[in-house]
Amino acid sequence: MDVAEIISHHILDHDWGVTLSGFRLPITTHTVTLFAVSVILLLGLHWISLGRQSRSGRLLTTLIEEYVTFIRDGIVLPNMGQEGKRFLPYFCTLFLFVLCSALAGLIPNMKTATANISVTAALALCSGGLILYCGLKFHGIAGFLKGFIPSGTPGWLVPLIFPLEVISMIIKVCVLAIRLFANMLSGHMVLICLLLIIFVVGQMHIAAGAGALLPAMGLELFMTLLELLVAFLQAYVFTLLTSIFAGSVIHTH
Amino acid sequence: MAFGPFSKQDHLEITTLGMEFAVSEILCTGAGYWLDQKCGTFPWCLVGGAAAGFALGLYQIIRAARNMAQQTKFKKVETKDGRR
Repeated sequence: MDVAEIISHHILDHDWGVTLSGFRLPITTHTVTLFAVSVILLLGLHWISLGRQSRSGRLLTTLIEEYVTFIRDGIVLPNMGQEGKRFLPYFCTLFLFVLCSALAGLIPNMKTATANISVTAALALCSGGLILYCGLKFHGIAGFLKGFIPSGTPGWLVPLIFPLEVISMIIKVCVLAIRLFANMLSGHMVLICLLLIIFVVGQMHIAAGAGALLPAMGLELFMTLLELLVAFLQAYVFTLLTSIFAGSVIHTH
Repeated sequence: MAFGPFSKQDHLEITTLGMEFAVSEILCTGAGYWLDQKCGTFPWCLVGGAAAGFALGLYQIIRAARNMAQQTKFKKVETKDGRR
């Protein structure tokens, strides 16, 4: 295997699905990671919601309460106002799901599902659906469409501005997906490239490879810690941007 | 943490603008290329798509800047009036 093959093997999805009576079940590493994250979150949060009286149970309950308060007061209320309160469960789920999917990629033998454009596109579609729902719910069809035309636009400019605004909104949702995908993919690519430095330099001379070991491992550790930060940051950014876009649809000028 | 007159949300929107510009350019150019393939008009739709993408990206940046300037002006007025 050459370097490019090793990188693509590490980054890309692997399909080891089965065919049952002509129907293909696409079991891939990303879908397995997604299911694992979903099941762990469902079971874990259900266990926490039972309200155990043990020390760890109380600690976890407090942690989740703090988390929900952070999402409500830090993300939803400032951008969407009181109207956003009803969507709080969606934002809590979104943040936790994106975060856990990214963190799962840091576990050996598991993959980052959000480094797959299909996964991030599906998440962005859900956010796009929420934005559309907010617009229709709070303004109706006519009001929602009217919101695309900025106030003070001359009548003759409306046929030009309206499609531009609609395309802009679609692009915003696309950007949500691409940003998360690109950040997750590039981070993992850098991680594997740093590890490969050792072997590439080692092929030139074994002593050089041994010399590159320590700096490469130091950089690897630094990048892993950075990936940890990026996982939290991207979950925050995805959730915050969704709430900003939804808020801009609710509170049109 | 927010710097200058901009809020945290403004900072985040500013970081998104570059990518929005790139995505609008790529999408419109891609649409132009697709149209060229369909109609056999290469390279006119591609060039038109690229120009339209550039215009759309610029429009998004100008609109975002205008919105942010407007919000900053509101905040200044509110602070002067002592409403906050």
